[in-house]
Amino acid sequence: MWIKNVHLVDPAQGISGIRNVLVQDGVIQAISTDLDTGEQLSDEQALDGTGKYLFPGLIDVHTHLREPGLEEKEDIASGSAAAIRGGFTGIMAMPNTQPVIDQRALVEFVKHQGERAGLARVYPIAAVTKGQRGEELTEMVDLRAGGAVALSDDGRPIMNAEVMRLALEYAKLPDLIVITHSEDANLALDGCMHWGETSLALGLKGIPSSAEAVMVARDMLLAAQTGGKLHVAHVSAWESVEIIRQAKRQGIDVTAEVNPHHLIFSDEDVTLNSTALKVNPPLRSQEDCEALLQGALDGTIDFLATDHAPHTWEEKAQPMPEAPFGILGLETALPAVWQYLVQPGRLSVEKMVEMWSALPARRFHLPGGSLKVGEAADMVLFDPLAKERVSRDNLASKASNTPFLDQELRGLPVMTWVAGGLKQKDRRIL
Amino acid sequence: MKWQRKDLLGLRDVSEQEIQFILETAKPMKEVLFRSVKKLPTLRGKSVVTLFFENSTRTRTSFEIAGKVLGADTSSVTVAQSSVAKGESLLDTVKTIRAMQPDVVIMRHPSSGAAEYIANILDVSVINAGDGQNEHPTQALLDMFTLKEHMGELAGKKIIIVGDILHSRVARSNAYGLLKLGAEVIFAGPPTLLPLEMKTLGVQVTYDLDSVLPGADAVMPLRLQMERQQKGLLPTLREYNRVYGLNLKRMEQTGKQTLVLHPGPMNRGVEIESDLADSALSVIEEQVTNGVAIRMALIYLFVGGSANDVD
Repeated sequence: MWIKNVHLVDPAQGISGIRNVLVQDGVIQAISTDLDTGEQLSDEQALDGTGKYLFPGLIDVHTHLREPGLEEKEDIASGSAAAIRGGFTGIMAMPNTQPVIDQRALVEFVKHQGERAGLARVYPIAAVTKGQRGEELTEMVDLRAGGAVALSDDGRPIMNAEVMRLALEYAKLPDLIVITHSEDANLALDGCMHWGETSLALGLKGIPSSAEAVMVARDMLLAAQTGGKLHVAHVSAWESVEIIRQAKRQGIDVTAEVNPHHLIFSDEDVTLNSTALKVNPPLRSQEDCEALLQGALDGTIDFLATDHAPHTWEEKAQPMPEAPFGILGLETALPAVWQYLVQPGRLSVEKMVEMWSALPARRFHLPGGSLKVGEAADMVLFDPLAKERVSRDNLASKASNTPFLDQELRGLPVMTWVAGGLKQKDRRIL
Repeated sequence: MKWQRKDLLGLRDVSEQEIQFILETAKPMKEVLFRSVKKLPTLRGKSVVTLFFENSTRTRTSFEIAGKVLGADTSSVTVAQSSVAKGESLLDTVKTIRAMQPDVVIMRHPSSGAAEYIANILDVSVINAGDGQNEHPTQALLDMFTLKEHMGELAGKKIIIVGDILHSRVARSNAYGLLKLGAEVIFAGPPTLLPLEMKTLGVQVTYDLDSVLPGADAVMPLRLQMERQQKGLLPTLREYNRVYGLNLKRMEQTGKQTLVLHPGPMNRGVEIESDLADSALSVIEEQVTNGVAIRMALIYLFVGGSANDVD
């Protein structure tokens, strides 16, 4: 199959321009700049990509698929379908399920459920500590052998610094990256939004930026001391960006991600009952949004990631202090970033694709991230003009806790392939 | 003025005119309370439901008396709220109450925003009797009513609120209301209970109570929740009393007859000494009476409409 006359964006190859792409047997066979050749090759198998973009399939390093144990919110099949609709061909699944993914058998279960669903590639992340209790390390070597691609106690901070130090040391054995949920549980205690003028006016308990930044600083020092590999999940505060920038200058082996909602919304958007915007870490100030974008542009922040966090309607239909943290991400993140950041010219399409595909693939040694000749055809056809109203009916996710609910998003993935197999066409899962 | 508001959730979004209108409506209501027969036929056949998720005998009783004096039937629902044992959701509780066809629902709840939450579900009026750390508008209204009775218009009057401002819905509602009436509002308290950023509400903030007492027209010490000390926000109640506790001696610094208000219940010997609480400066018991009048006014406005005569 030829995809003709499409704007190919593949930062790993330094390509951003009109190309014809030949896919056969699930792999990229040829990339041609010779548009005339493309014309001549027109046949029934050709797909006209005029006016559309072709990206390597996006890879999301931070999702919560809720299976096993919390299937009322999401399961691996519904989460994979949401991924495919959102343009993601690979997703890393956080281990804070019930039970916590802290043994090889559970890692293999997640992997197999992903394969059974047969949509996006599902990569399990295993827990750093048994039960994510922050006390004893998991069998990291065995977890890796079972298919774990990283380690994280995401959702629960490792409060004991010595346990964190030991984790960074021991994770060198299986050569796994430790993904930190950097949050001081005492500073964040019972908060439900960013600590600032808005929280003080609304009487909603605030989570100060320091709750994140002190832990980011601690983890940088421990990474420097141990030489371990670190990835900082969901950076939200400018102070954290500054600390990570310094750490990178010092050569510490650290990467960081930012979630689209932290770039797009601030605490000024939060009202007394906006539970769709209740997320941890919380939406911070406008200055933080700016610092995060700056960090992304200068490479301090490496990846975009959704922190896809489904919750049931009933759980979110509570007053703010009682509703759970989390925003749905997989199906809205790409159009939202497109609409709020790429279209206004604040983030280039090339940088977006690099942060969401090439760089995560390289960091976590995952397939994909580029459409080089010979690579598996994990790719997404993106139509910048396609429009869709986000609704409970069209979301593939079981949940609908998104601030974009009932809003129209413009710029959507209209076809998604995994290993050359078409999984989504015209917003429908195949 | 015609009363058109569906709910009273707080004073943040209420206009000065509306506040004045409520305070004016409360005046004849207060007179009724001093009659030998405290019963009006005005709201006969109307149903007033109080829904309390926090213990508060004072506020709930105040609302119930207010409803009864107006002739309405009052029913109280007390829901023991345990964060551990999750019972029925607020949504389902409110739907159940709705199905019982009340004419007004009065709610207290430990979560900020809970009043707005149920107001979005109910077609009938909601009066917020305190939601988390957000607002407690009827308390602020009764405070303003009491202040006005003693000092007339509040424009330019210097009013100090002392204590645990951070966690206080009373402080927030009073700040919003008093500022709209033109008063000068000062928050005073220890740094752990008074973030300086609260000045963005339009108030002055200080840690040094004694420095702002001169010239004060009214001082309102807030109830200090004992758990603040247990959670480490204060070293001891003794030290709190030494720095922020109000007594007659300390009040001499104001240089005038300064009113003392307290939202109750008082911790005597912590935020206020008995010599002051029981002195001629204290209007604390008047506040309680005025609380019934304010709540009568609100129930009347929400259930009875906007006509002005009470008889």
